[in-house]
Amino acid sequence: MAALKRKLLLCVLLVFACVGTESPSGAPTGGTLVISTGADPDILMPSLLSSVLAAQITDLVYDRLAVIGDSLSILNDDGFTPRLADRWTWGADSLTIAFHIDPRAKWHDGKPVRSSDVRFTFQSSTDSTLGSQVKALLSNIDSVTTPDSATAVFWFHARTPQQFYDATFLMPIIPEHVWQGIALSAWRGSEQAKHPIGSGQYRFVRWVPRAAVELTADTANYRGAPRLNRVIWSIAPDFNTAVTRFLSGETDFFEQLRPENLPEVAKHPELRTKQYRGLGYIFAQFNLRDPANRARPHPIFGNRELRRALTMATDRSTMVRSVFDSLALPALGPTVRAYPTTDPNLPQIPFDLPRARQILDSLGWRDANGDGVRERNGRPLQFSIAVPGTSRGRVRLAVLLQEQLRQAGVKMDVEQLDLPVLIERLRKRAFDATIGAWNTQPSPGSVRGSWGTVGSRASSGTNYSSYENPVFDANVDSALSSFDLPARKAYFTKAYETIIQDAPAIWLAEPIPTVGYHSRLQLAHLRSDAYWAHIPEWWIPADKRIPRDNAPVATSTAQAESAGKKTP
Amino acid sequence: MLRYVAGRLVQAAVIVAIVATISFALIHVAPGDPFSAVLDNPNVSENVRATLRAQYGLDRPLPEQFVRYVGQLARGDLGWSFSHDRPVREVLASALPNTLLLMVIALVGSFALGILIALIQVARRGSAIDHTLSGISLFFFSMPDFWLAILALLAFTYWLPLFPVGGAVDPVMHEYMGLGGRILDRLRHLALPALTLTVLASPGVARYQRAALLDVLPADYIRTARLKGLTEREILRRHALRNALLPIISLLGLSFPALLTGAFFIEKIFAWPGMGLAVVNAIGTRDYPLVVGGVILGSIMVTVGSLLADLLYAWADPRLRAH
Repeated sequence: MAALKRKLLLCVLLVFACVGTESPSGAPTGGTLVISTGADPDILMPSLLSSVLAAQITDLVYDRLAVIGDSLSILNDDGFTPRLADRWTWGADSLTIAFHIDPRAKWHDGKPVRSSDVRFTFQSSTDSTLGSQVKALLSNIDSVTTPDSATAVFWFHARTPQQFYDATFLMPIIPEHVWQGIALSAWRGSEQAKHPIGSGQYRFVRWVPRAAVELTADTANYRGAPRLNRVIWSIAPDFNTAVTRFLSGETDFFEQLRPENLPEVAKHPELRTKQYRGLGYIFAQFNLRDPANRARPHPIFGNRELRRALTMATDRSTMVRSVFDSLALPALGPTVRAYPTTDPNLPQIPFDLPRARQILDSLGWRDANGDGVRERNGRPLQFSIAVPGTSRGRVRLAVLLQEQLRQAGVKMDVEQLDLPVLIERLRKRAFDATIGAWNTQPSPGSVRGSWGTVGSRASSGTNYSSYENPVFDANVDSALSSFDLPARKAYFTKAYETIIQDAPAIWLAEPIPTVGYHSRLQLAHLRSDAYWAHIPEWWIPADKRIPRDNAPVATSTAQAESAGKKTP
Repeated sequence: MLRYVAGRLVQAAVIVAIVATISFALIHVAPGDPFSAVLDNPNVSENVRATLRAQYGLDRPLPEQFVRYVGQLARGDLGWSFSHDRPVREVLASALPNTLLLMVIALVGSFALGILIALIQVARRGSAIDHTLSGISLFFFSMPDFWLAILALLAFTYWLPLFPVGGAVDPVMHEYMGLGGRILDRLRHLALPALTLTVLASPGVARYQRAALLDVLPADYIRTARLKGLTEREILRRHALRNALLPIISLLGLSFPALLTGAFFIEKIFAWPGMGLAVVNAIGTRDYPLVVGGVILGSIMVTVGSLLADLLYAWADPRLRAH
């Protein structure tokens, strides 16, 4: 009897799914999006995650108070649109923002979203026991108070241009009633971190490790149902396998095509590609301090003119074309073109091999013995560059750089390392040079940590080159504290010009993320920091649906999970 | 016999303990950290790293960590996987059946195919068929596992789309299939990785079996059989093969490590959610407990496999059985 009921229910669901429905906007709903991806998410908990896939999933399951606009403006609340908060009010001194929670908002287990959830999210994220990555970024928020169940008031230490961004972008709101009974130190290992309950337009269904993650539309969501019934990430750890799944039609979407994939995609008339501006840049970074004794400058890279000469000896445009074809541009500096504060015409150190040779000669680096490598005081102009062996792009860039510098009389050895080994070396500053890459956030403020003095001197700082210039620091600080976009842009431009001329790195490439998708899929805008941000608006026309679009919608199992079953 | 088995089990336990100790030491002294990926971020502070290390007991001296680990092992606890955030036992338990399924099918398939090829070669020894099969066997024998796997994947899922592109089941439709559909779906996904592993393992068996058959053919009892008027096929099947199978049983024991290693590559290429895939990913993320747990389980599989092969050998050889 139970089986019969189950079959009947499935039939009803199947018919329902086949027919599709109308969303509040009148657009057709239904369909399944299958995304080809390479690895499991690490943890489905916003304040603890570090993998991109986990961010994709949690961004669809959890909501923020407000959402950043496609322009990625982080000045005050410019461009932000309401999400869990249907409105907000700034305090007279701008040191408080009162968010009013949308009364229709509910968690996926049916309980209403309250202001206490917001307070709980902030308190847990800033508790050092949790070990959240966002804790340091929330340092300007003093506290969150809840005068009533629908109002959460953020209190800030100082008025800054990005305080609204801090309060909203960095903290997807989590349900207090789900998490409050679990010790913070046990969150990572909890079942709740694998079966999230959020308030977003998609609810979690299942995560089969090394196979798939599935979300389903929250049809009763306060913002209306999303257009696609389901989103599934199909996991294949081998890149070629993941691409083949996309090319063969097993998946609808591939998030990061490589240049060599483009001709194959072009052979399939049903497949499309789309590019968007990313937030990543790649660089060859020099260690400015001696790895053997950090108190001393590096015997080669401690000299600014030598670093400039190495930059001059590098034909970045040719390198980028060779490695990325049309999927990258030469990098501008420690920034990306997607930022409204970036001047795309930042002056660069030009490629000029004869001039580079002259500078090296003038610095006393000459090839006296005719072996093709310059020397000075018996020391050859030779160093090693560390690259993660798993990154084909970076390895290729290193090989091309090796050849370019060889023409200037510089011997560079390429050292391919396992990623954890490379990171350990960088942390200990035990390297000469490395091909690095940063994927930044909508705020350009991370440049302070990765290239500023603060990131150089802190024991855990990520300014691995130990580059320090007070002019750069001052301009970055001025930019970050400026409320006026043109002024902000002018300060950043000065900072970038300073660091480009100091050449602590050769700014190599700014990848242009290129997605592949099936033509039946109608995409919305791909946001620079998160192409998936608008997935709830993607859709598949009814006449283009295939059998998997009409599969019955699964019910979420998350609610059935009991709290705190297993902990480390 | 019981004493022999008990002795071998003790030997196996010692081997597993040594392997576990070495792998524990090696993975811990390897540069890097389980939280490297978390830290490769300009916004992450050293405090976060310290908190994480303390949470997982990695701030303790290595000998203390080892003693704790041994204590856990004694209680049957393989530890907590950092990358999966659940017990290692659970991670391996979910992956082991998939690996075993792949290995057993490949083992049976490769021995059946290898013996068949050897029989054909010996029956037509010196002919063009013999030479051709030898060439083909050598070709596949010398082919790198991952390369053949990638080639098979492209050939049979993309150029000639006969099979699905990896995975153990259809990630979208499997949940909604009936029992028959689910079984069929699993078989469709299993076919290509199992076939690839079989093709990789069978040439070794064929070459070994061919040599063993050629060794027994000059024997007196074969000559007697010929004189009795038996056909060449009957001689091969009823007399030569039975005696030439003994060395193959030894090969069975030796095949476990090779098959396990091969399965690791196959699992990665075909996104087959087995133990190999879990352990390889764990090495990359420095998930110490999962790596050591996987190594322990792998060494148990190999030692038990070898023991079974030895027992089979003893059972099959009347001379050893008599002792």
